[in-house]
Amino acid sequence: MRKVRVSLLQLSTKLGKIEENYEKILNGIEYSLKEKAEIIVTPELATIGYGSGDIYLDKVRENLEVLEKIKKKVKDFYLILGYMEEDSKGFFYNSAALIYNGEIIGNYRKVQLVNYRLFDEKRYFKAGNRMPVFKTKFGKIGILICEDVWFPEPPRAMALRGAEVLFVIGASPFERKKDEIWINYLKQRVYDNILPVCFCNQAGSQEGIVYMGFSMYLNARGEIVCKGKLIEEDIVIFDLDLDEYKRIRRRDIRLREVRKEVIEDLLRACEEMENEGN
Amino acid sequence: MKEIKFDEKELPVIEKVIVESIKTRVLKANAKGGIVALSGGVDSSLVLVLSKKALGKNLLALIMPEKDITPEKDVEDAVKLVKKIDVDYEIIEISEFVEKFSRVLKRGEREEREYSIYNLKPRIRMIINYLYANTLNYLVIGTSNKTELLLGYGTKYGDLAADIYPIGDLYKTQVWQLAEYVGIDAEIVKKVPSAGLWKGQTDEEEIGYTYSQIDSVLYSLVDLELSVKETSLILGIPEEAVYDLYIRVVKNEHKRRPPTITKISKMCLDKDWKYPVERE
Repeated sequence: MRKVRVSLLQLSTKLGKIEENYEKILNGIEYSLKEKAEIIVTPELATIGYGSGDIYLDKVRENLEVLEKIKKKVKDFYLILGYMEEDSKGFFYNSAALIYNGEIIGNYRKVQLVNYRLFDEKRYFKAGNRMPVFKTKFGKIGILICEDVWFPEPPRAMALRGAEVLFVIGASPFERKKDEIWINYLKQRVYDNILPVCFCNQAGSQEGIVYMGFSMYLNARGEIVCKGKLIEEDIVIFDLDLDEYKRIRRRDIRLREVRKEVIEDLLRACEEMENEGN
Repeated sequence: MKEIKFDEKELPVIEKVIVESIKTRVLKANAKGGIVALSGGVDSSLVLVLSKKALGKNLLALIMPEKDITPEKDVEDAVKLVKKIDVDYEIIEISEFVEKFSRVLKRGEREEREYSIYNLKPRIRMIINYLYANTLNYLVIGTSNKTELLLGYGTKYGDLAADIYPIGDLYKTQVWQLAEYVGIDAEIVKKVPSAGLWKGQTDEEEIGYTYSQIDSVLYSLVDLELSVKETSLILGIPEEAVYDLYIRVVKNEHKRRPPTITKISKMCLDKDWKYPVERE
Protein backbone atom coordinates (compact mmCIF):
# COMPACT_ATOMS: atom_id res chain seq x y z
CA MET A 1 0.00 0.00 0.00
CA ARG A 2 1.37 3.43 -0.92
CA LYS A 3 1.44 5.53 2.21
CA VAL A 4 3.06 8.88 2.78
CA ARG A 5 3.40 10.68 6.07
CA VAL A 6 1.96 14.17 5.93
CA SER A 7 2.27 16.98 8.46
CA LEU A 8 -0.18 19.90 8.42
CA LEU A 9 1.27 22.91 10.22
CA GLN A 10 -1.78 24.65 11.64
CA LEU A 11 0.12 27.79 12.60
CA SER A 12 -0.96 31.14 13.94
CA THR A 13 0.97 33.14 11.35
CA LYS A 14 0.54 36.93 11.56
CA LEU A 15 0.08 39.58 8.93
CA GLY A 16 3.40 41.29 8.19
CA LYS A 17 5.34 39.51 10.94
CA ILE A 18 7.85 37.91 8.60
CA GLU A 19 10.48 36.89 11.17
CA GLU A 20 7.91 35.49 13.60
CA ASN A 21 6.26 33.49 10.82
CA TYR A 22 9.62 32.23 9.58
CA GLU A 23 10.48 30.93 13.05
CA LYS A 24 7.11 29.22 13.36
CA ILE A 25 7.48 27.54 9.98
CA LEU A 26 11.02 26.32 10.79
CA ASN A 27 9.95 24.99 14.18
CA GLY A 28 7.02 23.22 12.54
CA ILE A 29 9.32 21.65 9.96
CA GLU A 30 11.77 20.52 12.62
CA TYR A 31 9.02 18.90 14.67
CA SER A 32 7.50 17.23 11.60
CA LEU A 33 10.82 15.78 10.49
CA LYS A 34 11.32 14.19 13.89
CA GLU A 35 7.93 12.57 13.32
CA LYS A 36 9.24 11.37 9.94
CA ALA A 37 6.93 13.51 7.80
CA GLU A 38 7.59 13.35 4.07
CA ILE A 39 5.22 16.11 2.96
CA ILE A 40 4.88 19.21 5.16
CA VAL A 41 2.18 21.80 4.53
CA THR A 42 1.75 25.39 5.77
CA PRO A 43 -1.35 27.61 5.74
CA GLU A 44 -2.10 30.19 3.02
CA LEU A 45 0.38 33.09 2.71
CA ALA A 46 2.29 31.62 5.66
CA THR A 47 5.45 33.67 5.13
CA ILE A 48 3.74 37.06 5.13
CA GLY A 49 0.64 36.12 7.13
CA TYR A 50 -2.97 36.32 6.06
CA GLY A 51 -5.15 39.32 6.74
CA SER A 52 -6.08 42.42 4.88
CA GLY A 53 -3.70 45.32 4.83
CA ASP A 54 -1.39 47.38 2.66
CA ILE A 55 1.40 45.88 4.73
CA TYR A 56 1.48 43.17 2.02
CA LEU A 57 2.93 45.77 -0.33
CA ASP A 58 5.60 46.80 2.16
CA LYS A 59 6.68 43.30 3.06
CA VAL A 60 6.65 41.45 -0.24
CA ARG A 61 10.42 41.55 -0.63
CA GLU A 62 11.10 40.30 2.88
CA ASN A 63 8.61 37.50 2.26
CA LEU A 64 10.52 36.50 -0.87
CA GLU A 65 13.79 36.52 1.05
CA VAL A 66 12.25 34.20 3.62
CA LEU A 67 11.08 31.92 0.82
CA GLU A 68 14.71 31.68 -0.35
CA LYS A 69 15.90 30.93 3.18
CA ILE A 70 13.26 28.26 3.70
CA LYS A 71 14.03 26.70 0.30
CA LYS A 72 17.59 26.01 1.41
CA LYS A 73 16.35 24.16 4.48
CA VAL A 74 14.25 21.72 2.48
CA LYS A 75 16.28 18.56 1.91
CA ASP A 76 14.75 15.16 1.45
CA PHE A 77 11.10 16.08 1.94
CA TYR A 78 8.41 18.12 0.23
CA LEU A 79 7.18 21.44 1.54
CA ILE A 80 4.00 23.14 0.37
CA LEU A 81 4.48 26.76 1.37
CA GLY A 82 2.00 29.61 1.08
CA TYR A 83 3.72 32.86 0.09
CA MET A 84 3.23 36.12 -1.80
CA GLU A 85 4.62 35.89 -5.32
CA GLU A 86 5.77 38.77 -7.51
CA ASP A 87 6.05 38.26 -11.27
CA SER A 88 8.39 40.03 -13.73
CA LYS A 89 5.76 42.71 -14.39
CA GLY A 90 5.48 43.57 -10.70
CA PHE A 91 2.09 41.85 -10.21
CA PHE A 92 1.41 39.91 -7.04
CA TYR A 93 -0.18 36.51 -6.50
CA ASN A 94 -1.44 34.56 -3.53
CA SER A 95 0.67 31.49 -4.28
CA ALA A 96 1.86 28.12 -3.04
CA ALA A 97 5.33 26.78 -3.77
CA LEU A 98 6.07 23.08 -3.84
CA ILE A 99 9.65 22.81 -2.65
CA TYR A 100 11.90 19.76 -2.78
CA ASN A 101 15.65 19.46 -2.26
CA GLY A 102 16.19 23.19 -2.19
CA GLU A 103 14.25 23.85 -5.39
CA ILE A 104 10.75 25.09 -6.21
CA ILE A 105 9.53 22.23 -8.35
CA GLY A 106 5.99 23.54 -8.69
CA ASN A 107 4.16 26.81 -8.23
CA TYR A 108 0.42 27.43 -7.97
CA ARG A 109 -1.43 30.76 -8.00
CA LYS A 110 -4.82 31.04 -6.30
CA VAL A 111 -7.47 31.13 -8.99
CA GLN A 112 -10.50 32.17 -6.94
CA LEU A 113 -9.56 35.35 -5.08
CA VAL A 114 -11.99 36.36 -2.34
CA ASN A 115 -13.49 39.83 -2.29
CA TYR A 116 -16.66 39.72 -0.29
CA ARG A 117 -17.43 40.80 3.28
CA LEU A 118 -14.15 41.07 5.22
CA PHE A 119 -12.00 39.81 2.34
CA ASP A 120 -10.11 42.17 0.07
CA GLU A 121 -7.67 40.01 -1.89
CA LYS A 122 -8.16 41.72 -5.25
CA ARG A 123 -6.79 44.92 -3.76
CA TYR A 124 -3.38 43.19 -3.81
CA PHE A 125 -3.42 40.03 -5.89
CA LYS A 126 -3.90 38.98 -9.48
CA ALA A 127 -5.70 35.68 -9.94
CA GLY A 128 -3.96 32.65 -11.41
CA ASN A 129 -5.49 30.84 -14.39
CA ARG A 130 -3.79 27.45 -14.31
CA MET A 131 -4.70 24.33 -12.41
CA PRO A 132 -1.66 22.08 -12.76
CA VAL A 133 -0.68 18.90 -10.96
CA PHE A 134 2.85 18.26 -9.74
CA LYS A 135 4.87 15.08 -9.87
CA THR A 136 6.42 13.89 -6.62
CA LYS A 137 8.11 10.62 -5.82
CA PHE A 138 4.89 9.54 -4.11
CA GLY A 139 2.55 10.41 -6.94
CA LYS A 140 0.85 13.40 -8.56
CA ILE A 141 -0.51 16.08 -6.29
CA GLY A 142 -2.75 19.10 -6.72
CA ILE A 143 -2.49 22.22 -4.58
CA LEU A 144 -5.42 24.57 -3.98
CA ILE A 145 -5.70 27.73 -1.94
CA CYS A 146 -8.71 28.17 0.36
CA GLU A 147 -11.61 29.55 -1.71
CA ASP A 148 -10.44 27.48 -4.71
CA VAL A 149 -11.97 24.43 -3.10
CA TRP A 150 -15.36 26.14 -2.66
CA PHE A 151 -15.64 25.91 -6.44
CA PRO A 152 -16.02 22.58 -8.24
CA GLU A 153 -13.85 23.47 -11.23
CA PRO A 154 -10.27 23.80 -9.89
CA PRO A 155 -10.33 20.46 -8.01
CA ARG A 156 -12.01 18.83 -11.01
CA ALA A 157 -9.32 20.08 -13.40
CA MET A 158 -6.62 18.67 -11.13
CA ALA A 159 -8.43 15.35 -10.79
CA LEU A 160 -8.67 15.09 -14.57
CA ARG A 161 -4.94 15.85 -14.82
CA GLY A 162 -4.27 12.83 -12.65
CA ALA A 163 -3.95 14.29 -9.15
CA GLU A 164 -3.92 11.52 -6.55
CA VAL A 165 -4.42 13.83 -3.61
CA LEU A 166 -5.45 17.46 -3.17
CA PHE A 167 -3.74 19.72 -0.66
CA VAL A 168 -5.75 22.77 0.34
CA ILE A 169 -3.96 25.55 2.21
CA GLY A 170 -6.21 28.11 3.85
CA ALA A 171 -6.65 31.07 6.19
CA SER A 172 -10.32 30.75 6.97
CA PRO A 173 -11.67 32.79 9.88
CA PHE A 174 -13.94 31.35 12.52
CA GLU A 175 -17.58 32.26 12.40
CA ARG A 176 -20.71 30.43 13.53
CA LYS A 177 -21.19 27.12 11.68
CA LYS A 178 -18.12 27.67 9.53
CA ASP A 179 -16.64 24.31 10.63
CA GLU A 180 -19.70 22.52 9.28
CA ILE A 181 -19.54 24.48 6.03
CA TRP A 182 -15.90 23.49 5.54
CA ILE A 183 -16.63 19.84 6.19
CA ASN A 184 -19.42 19.98 3.62
CA TYR A 185 -17.26 21.60 0.96
CA LEU A 186 -14.31 19.28 1.51
CA LYS A 187 -16.49 16.18 1.50
CA GLN A 188 -18.20 17.33 -1.64
CA ARG A 189 -14.85 17.68 -3.43
CA VAL A 190 -13.88 14.20 -2.30
CA TYR A 191 -17.16 12.82 -3.66
CA ASP A 192 -16.83 14.79 -6.90
CA ASN A 193 -13.37 13.53 -7.67
CA ILE A 194 -12.86 10.43 -5.52
CA LEU A 195 -9.59 11.66 -4.09
CA PRO A 196 -8.24 12.25 -0.60
CA VAL A 197 -8.09 15.88 0.53
CA CYS A 198 -5.72 17.42 3.10
CA PHE A 199 -6.74 20.85 4.42
CA CYS A 200 -4.25 22.98 6.35
CA ASN A 201 -5.71 26.15 7.89
CA GLN A 202 -4.35 29.10 9.83
CA ALA A 203 -5.14 29.39 13.56
CA GLY A 204 -4.96 32.14 16.18
CA SER A 205 -6.32 35.62 16.67
CA GLN A 206 -5.58 38.80 14.75
CA GLU A 207 -7.50 42.10 14.59
CA GLY A 208 -10.62 40.64 16.16
CA ILE A 209 -10.63 37.76 13.68
CA VAL A 210 -9.87 34.34 15.06
CA TYR A 211 -8.74 31.89 12.40
CA MET A 212 -10.52 28.60 12.56
CA GLY A 213 -7.72 26.03 12.48
CA PHE A 214 -9.62 22.73 12.08
CA SER A 215 -7.16 21.33 9.54
CA MET A 216 -8.11 17.84 8.46
CA TYR A 217 -7.47 14.79 6.37
CA LEU A 218 -10.41 13.27 4.52
CA ASN A 219 -9.77 9.93 2.87
CA ALA A 220 -11.04 9.08 -0.60
CA ARG A 221 -14.29 7.85 0.96
CA GLY A 222 -14.96 11.26 2.41
CA GLU A 223 -14.37 10.18 6.00
CA ILE A 224 -12.54 12.57 8.32
CA VAL A 225 -9.54 10.52 9.42
CA CYS A 226 -8.01 13.15 11.68
CA LYS A 227 -8.38 16.82 12.39
CA GLY A 228 -6.65 19.69 14.17
CA LYS A 229 -7.99 21.73 17.05
CA LEU A 230 -10.43 24.56 16.54
CA ILE A 231 -8.76 28.01 16.74
CA GLU A 232 -5.53 26.93 18.45
CA GLU A 233 -2.21 26.11 16.83
CA ASP A 234 -1.71 22.45 16.15
CA ILE A 235 0.30 20.07 14.02
CA VAL A 236 -1.65 17.25 12.41
CA ILE A 237 0.40 14.25 11.33
CA PHE A 238 -0.99 11.20 9.58
CA ASP A 239 -0.26 8.54 6.98
CA LEU A 240 -2.01 9.42 3.76
CA ASP A 241 -3.31 6.47 1.76
CA LEU A 242 -2.59 6.95 -1.94
CA ASP A 243 -4.07 3.69 -3.20
CA GLU A 244 -7.55 3.82 -1.73
CA TYR A 245 -8.95 6.12 -4.40
CA LYS A 246 -8.16 3.58 -7.09
CA ARG A 247 -10.06 0.84 -5.29
CA ILE A 248 -13.09 3.10 -5.04
CA ARG A 249 -12.85 4.21 -8.63
CA ARG A 250 -13.13 0.59 -9.87
CA ARG A 251 -16.86 0.80 -9.32
CA ASP A 252 -17.47 4.50 -8.74
CA ILE A 253 -16.80 5.53 -12.31
CA ARG A 254 -18.14 9.10 -12.26
CA LEU A 255 -14.81 10.79 -12.88
CA ARG A 256 -14.23 8.58 -15.91
CA GLU A 257 -17.66 9.59 -17.17
CA VAL A 258 -17.05 13.35 -17.09
CA ARG A 259 -18.14 14.41 -20.56
CA LYS A 260 -16.31 16.89 -22.73
CA GLU A 261 -19.59 17.80 -24.45
CA VAL A 262 -21.11 18.75 -21.12
CA ILE A 263 -18.08 20.87 -20.21
CA GLU A 264 -18.21 22.55 -23.62
CA ASP A 265 -21.78 23.51 -22.96
CA LEU A 266 -20.78 24.72 -19.50
CA LEU A 267 -18.30 27.02 -21.22
CA ARG A 268 -21.04 28.30 -23.51
CA ALA A 269 -23.22 28.90 -20.43
CA CYS A 270 -20.37 30.90 -18.89
CA GLU A 271 -20.11 33.00 -22.03
CA GLU A 272 -23.86 33.57 -22.06
CA MET A 273 -23.71 34.72 -18.44
CA GLU A 274 -20.81 37.08 -19.22
CA ASN A 275 -22.56 38.48 -22.29
CA GLU A 276 -25.91 38.96 -20.62
CA GLY A 277 -26.82 42.61 -20.73
CA ASN A 278 -23.97 43.50 -23.13
CA MET B 1 -35.96 32.74 15.01
CA LYS B 2 -34.11 29.76 16.44
CA GLU B 3 -30.74 30.51 14.85
CA ILE B 4 -30.02 33.61 16.92
CA LYS B 5 -29.58 31.41 19.97
CA PHE B 6 -26.38 29.42 20.25
CA ASP B 7 -26.52 25.62 20.34
CA GLU B 8 -25.04 24.22 23.48
CA LYS B 9 -22.03 22.90 21.63
CA GLU B 10 -21.31 26.35 20.15
CA LEU B 11 -20.91 28.04 23.53
CA PRO B 12 -17.46 26.68 24.49
CA VAL B 13 -16.10 27.66 21.08
CA ILE B 14 -17.57 31.17 21.24
CA GLU B 15 -16.07 31.59 24.70
CA LYS B 16 -12.67 30.44 23.47
CA VAL B 17 -12.75 32.74 20.44
CA ILE B 18 -13.47 35.78 22.59
CA VAL B 19 -10.87 34.91 25.23
CA GLU B 20 -8.27 34.32 22.53
CA SER B 21 -9.00 37.66 20.84
CA ILE B 22 -8.72 39.61 24.12
CA LYS B 23 -5.44 37.90 24.96
CA THR B 24 -3.90 38.55 21.54
CA ARG B 25 -5.03 42.14 21.32
CA VAL B 26 -3.52 43.05 24.70
CA LEU B 27 -0.32 41.22 23.86
CA LYS B 28 0.03 42.80 20.42
CA ALA B 29 -0.63 46.28 21.79
CA ASN B 30 2.29 45.67 24.17
CA ALA B 31 -0.13 46.49 26.96
CA LYS B 32 0.16 44.89 30.37
CA GLY B 33 -3.49 44.15 30.96
CA GLY B 34 -7.06 45.38 30.74
CA ILE B 35 -9.65 47.54 32.44
CA VAL B 36 -13.35 46.77 32.59
CA ALA B 37 -15.89 49.28 33.87
CA LEU B 38 -18.14 47.02 35.90
CA SER B 39 -21.73 48.07 36.51
CA GLY B 40 -23.14 44.92 38.02
CA GLY B 41 -25.11 44.28 34.84
CA VAL B 42 -24.79 41.29 32.58
CA ASP B 43 -22.68 42.80 29.76
CA SER B 44 -19.84 44.10 31.89
CA SER B 45 -19.97 41.01 34.12
CA LEU B 46 -19.57 38.76 31.08
CA VAL B 47 -16.72 40.88 29.71
CA LEU B 48 -15.00 40.77 33.09
CA VAL B 49 -15.24 36.99 33.35
CA LEU B 50 -13.93 36.50 29.79
CA SER B 51 -11.15 39.05 30.39
CA LYS B 52 -10.16 37.23 33.56
CA LYS B 53 -9.76 34.04 31.54
CA ALA B 54 -7.66 35.92 28.99
CA LEU B 55 -5.53 38.12 31.25
CA GLY B 56 -5.46 36.48 34.66
CA LYS B 57 -4.10 38.86 37.29
CA ASN B 58 -3.56 41.73 34.85
CA LEU B 59 -7.08 43.00 35.08
CA LEU B 60 -8.72 45.86 36.94
CA ALA B 61 -12.45 46.34 37.47
CA LEU B 62 -13.64 49.90 37.99
CA ILE B 63 -16.96 50.12 39.76
CA MET B 64 -18.26 53.66 39.29
CA PRO B 65 -21.66 54.20 40.89
CA GLU B 66 -23.52 57.48 41.10
CA LYS B 67 -25.02 58.40 44.44
CA ASP B 68 -28.84 58.10 44.58
CA ILE B 69 -28.96 56.87 40.99
CA THR B 70 -27.09 53.56 40.87
CA PRO B 71 -28.99 50.88 42.82
CA GLU B 72 -26.99 49.58 45.77
CA LYS B 73 -27.73 46.08 44.60
CA ASP B 74 -25.67 46.73 41.45
CA VAL B 75 -22.60 47.68 43.47
CA GLU B 76 -23.12 44.66 45.73
CA ASP B 77 -23.39 42.33 42.73
CA ALA B 78 -20.29 43.88 41.14
CA VAL B 79 -18.23 43.49 44.32
CA LYS B 80 -19.49 39.96 44.80
CA LEU B 81 -18.35 39.08 41.27
CA VAL B 82 -14.84 40.57 41.55
CA LYS B 83 -14.35 38.74 44.83
CA LYS B 84 -15.69 35.48 43.43
CA ILE B 85 -13.33 35.47 40.44
CA ASP B 86 -10.49 37.28 42.24
CA VAL B 87 -10.14 40.49 40.25
CA ASP B 88 -8.50 43.66 41.56
CA TYR B 89 -11.01 46.53 41.77
CA GLU B 90 -11.69 50.13 42.77
CA ILE B 91 -14.97 51.76 43.69
CA ILE B 92 -15.12 55.35 42.52
CA GLU B 93 -18.19 57.43 43.17
CA ILE B 94 -18.83 59.84 40.27
CA SER B 95 -21.50 62.23 41.66
CA GLU B 96 -19.09 65.05 42.50
CA PHE B 97 -17.77 65.10 38.92
CA VAL B 98 -21.28 65.03 37.46
CA GLU B 99 -22.18 67.93 39.69
CA LYS B 100 -19.11 70.01 38.79
CA PHE B 101 -19.38 69.43 35.06
CA SER B 102 -23.11 70.20 35.15
CA ARG B 103 -22.34 73.63 36.59
CA VAL B 104 -20.26 74.50 33.50
CA LEU B 105 -23.28 74.14 31.24
CA LYS B 106 -24.83 77.55 30.51
CA ARG B 107 -26.96 76.90 27.43
CA GLY B 108 -30.09 74.96 26.51
CA GLU B 109 -33.57 74.37 27.85
CA ARG B 110 -33.94 72.36 31.02
CA GLU B 111 -34.87 69.18 29.16
CA GLU B 112 -31.95 69.52 26.74
CA ARG B 113 -29.55 70.06 29.60
CA GLU B 114 -30.88 67.04 31.43
CA TYR B 115 -30.34 64.88 28.36
CA SER B 116 -26.72 66.04 27.98
CA ILE B 117 -26.11 65.32 31.62
CA TYR B 118 -27.28 61.74 31.14
CA ASN B 119 -24.58 61.42 28.51
CA LEU B 120 -22.04 63.16 30.72
CA LYS B 121 -22.07 60.27 33.17
CA PRO B 122 -20.68 57.57 30.87
CA ARG B 123 -18.16 60.15 29.65
CA ILE B 124 -16.92 60.72 33.17
CA ARG B 125 -16.55 56.96 33.58
CA MET B 126 -14.63 56.92 30.31
CA ILE B 127 -12.19 59.55 31.61
CA ILE B 128 -11.57 57.47 34.71
CA ASN B 129 -11.15 54.31 32.61
CA TYR B 130 -8.45 55.95 30.53
CA LEU B 131 -6.85 57.63 33.52
CA TYR B 132 -6.19 54.18 34.94
CA ALA B 133 -5.45 52.62 31.55
CA ASN B 134 -2.72 55.15 30.74
CA THR B 135 -1.18 54.84 34.16
CA LEU B 136 -1.06 51.05 34.15
CA ASN B 137 -0.50 50.61 30.40
CA TYR B 138 -3.74 48.65 30.19
CA LEU B 139 -6.32 48.57 27.40
CA VAL B 140 -9.92 49.58 28.03
CA ILE B 141 -12.11 46.61 27.29
CA GLY B 142 -15.50 47.78 26.05
CA THR B 143 -18.75 46.13 27.07
CA SER B 144 -21.05 47.13 24.20
CA ASN B 145 -23.01 44.34 22.56
CA LYS B 146 -24.34 44.05 19.01
CA THR B 147 -27.87 45.13 19.94
CA GLU B 148 -26.56 48.37 21.48
CA LEU B 149 -24.07 49.01 18.69
CA LEU B 150 -26.78 48.61 16.06
CA LEU B 151 -29.30 50.82 17.83
CA GLY B 152 -26.67 53.35 18.85
CA TYR B 153 -27.75 52.72 22.41
CA GLY B 154 -24.58 53.99 23.97
CA THR B 155 -22.79 57.29 24.53
CA LYS B 156 -20.25 58.32 21.93
CA TYR B 157 -16.89 58.76 23.67
CA GLY B 158 -18.61 57.53 26.80
CA ASP B 159 -19.31 53.84 27.31
CA LEU B 160 -18.66 53.37 23.57
CA ALA B 161 -15.07 54.53 24.05
CA ALA B 162 -12.87 51.46 24.33
CA ASP B 163 -9.95 49.72 22.69
CA ILE B 164 -11.82 46.53 21.90
CA TYR B 165 -15.38 45.25 21.87
CA PRO B 166 -15.08 41.56 22.69
CA ILE B 167 -18.87 41.01 22.86
CA GLY B 168 -19.69 43.50 20.09
CA ASP B 169 -20.84 40.71 17.75
CA LEU B 170 -23.24 39.19 20.31
CA TYR B 171 -26.88 40.21 20.57
CA LYS B 172 -28.25 40.74 24.07
CA THR B 173 -30.05 37.40 23.82
CA GLN B 174 -26.70 35.74 23.15
CA VAL B 175 -24.99 37.69 25.93
CA TRP B 176 -27.49 36.21 28.37
CA GLN B 177 -26.79 32.72 27.06
CA LEU B 178 -23.02 33.06 27.26
CA ALA B 179 -23.19 34.73 30.69
CA GLU B 180 -25.16 31.80 32.02
CA TYR B 181 -22.75 29.37 30.39
CA VAL B 182 -19.65 30.94 32.00
CA GLY B 183 -21.33 30.68 35.39
CA ILE B 184 -22.39 34.24 36.17
CA ASP B 185 -24.93 34.32 39.00
CA ALA B 186 -28.58 34.26 37.99
CA GLU B 187 -29.06 37.46 40.00
CA ILE B 188 -26.99 39.29 37.42
CA VAL B 189 -28.13 37.39 34.35
CA LYS B 190 -31.80 37.80 35.18
CA LYS B 191 -31.51 41.45 36.20
CA VAL B 192 -33.66 43.91 34.23
CA PRO B 193 -31.21 45.68 31.88
CA SER B 194 -30.55 49.34 32.58
CA ALA B 195 -28.03 51.88 31.35
CA GLY B 196 -28.30 53.43 34.81
CA LEU B 197 -28.59 57.00 33.57
CA TRP B 198 -31.45 57.95 35.85
CA LYS B 199 -33.18 56.32 38.75
CA GLY B 200 -35.43 53.43 37.80
CA GLN B 201 -34.43 53.55 34.12
CA THR B 202 -34.81 50.34 32.13
CA ASP B 203 -33.49 49.80 28.60
CA GLU B 204 -36.64 48.15 27.34
CA GLU B 205 -38.85 50.97 28.54
CA GLU B 206 -36.56 53.60 27.06
CA ILE B 207 -36.18 51.89 23.69
CA GLY B 208 -39.85 50.97 23.64
CA TYR B 209 -39.54 47.28 22.84
CA THR B 210 -38.43 44.13 24.65
CA TYR B 211 -34.95 42.79 23.97
CA SER B 212 -36.49 39.64 22.59
CA GLN B 213 -38.43 41.70 20.02
CA ILE B 214 -35.49 43.96 19.27
CA ASP B 215 -33.04 41.10 18.78
CA SER B 216 -35.39 39.15 16.52
CA VAL B 217 -35.91 42.23 14.38
CA LEU B 218 -32.24 43.17 14.21
CA TYR B 219 -31.15 39.61 13.52
CA SER B 220 -33.65 39.43 10.69
CA LEU B 221 -32.63 42.79 9.19
CA VAL B 222 -28.88 42.51 9.66
CA ASP B 223 -27.86 38.87 9.76
CA LEU B 224 -30.59 37.43 7.55
CA GLU B 225 -30.65 40.55 5.34
CA LEU B 226 -34.46 40.57 5.14
CA SER B 227 -36.41 43.72 4.36
CA VAL B 228 -38.54 45.65 6.82
CA LYS B 229 -41.67 44.21 5.24
CA GLU B 230 -40.42 40.62 5.27
CA THR B 231 -39.24 40.97 8.86
CA SER B 232 -42.61 42.32 9.92
CA LEU B 233 -44.44 39.46 8.20
CA ILE B 234 -42.22 36.69 9.55
CA LEU B 235 -42.13 37.94 13.13
CA GLY B 236 -45.69 39.23 13.27
CA ILE B 237 -44.43 42.60 14.51
CA PRO B 238 -46.09 45.73 13.04
CA GLU B 239 -44.20 47.20 10.09
CA GLU B 240 -43.97 50.61 11.79
CA ALA B 241 -42.18 49.07 14.76
CA VAL B 242 -39.68 47.25 12.52
CA TYR B 243 -39.17 50.43 10.52
CA ASP B 244 -38.56 52.39 13.69
CA LEU B 245 -35.74 50.04 14.69
CA TYR B 246 -34.37 49.99 11.14
CA ILE B 247 -34.12 53.79 11.13
CA ARG B 248 -32.29 53.74 14.44
CA VAL B 249 -29.71 51.37 12.94
CA VAL B 250 -29.25 53.63 9.91
CA LYS B 251 -29.05 56.87 11.88
CA ASN B 252 -26.44 55.54 14.26
CA GLU B 253 -23.80 54.47 11.76
CA HIS B 254 -21.69 57.40 12.97
CA LYS B 255 -21.40 55.82 16.39
CA ARG B 256 -19.78 52.77 14.85
CA ARG B 257 -17.13 54.68 12.87
CA PRO B 258 -14.21 56.93 13.59
CA PRO B 259 -14.79 60.53 12.44
CA THR B 260 -14.93 60.97 8.66
CA ILE B 261 -11.82 62.59 7.19
CA THR B 262 -12.20 65.00 4.27
CA LYS B 263 -10.16 63.65 1.40
CA ILE B 264 -7.50 65.96 -0.05
CA SER B 265 -4.52 63.76 -0.81
CA LYS B 266 -4.03 60.53 -2.72
CA MET B 267 -3.68 58.77 0.62
CA CYS B 268 -6.61 59.76 2.79
CA LEU B 269 -6.16 57.89 6.04
CA ASP B 270 -9.68 56.54 6.48
CA LYS B 271 -10.27 55.77 2.81
CA ASP B 272 -7.20 54.88 0.78
CA TRP B 273 -4.88 53.67 3.50
CA LYS B 274 -5.47 50.26 5.01
CA TYR B 275 -3.22 49.02 7.76
CA PRO B 276 -3.77 46.57 10.58
CA VAL B 277 -4.00 47.76 14.17
CA GLU B 278 -1.92 44.84 15.38
CA ARG B 279 1.00 45.92 13.25
CA GLU B 280 4.30 45.85 15.10
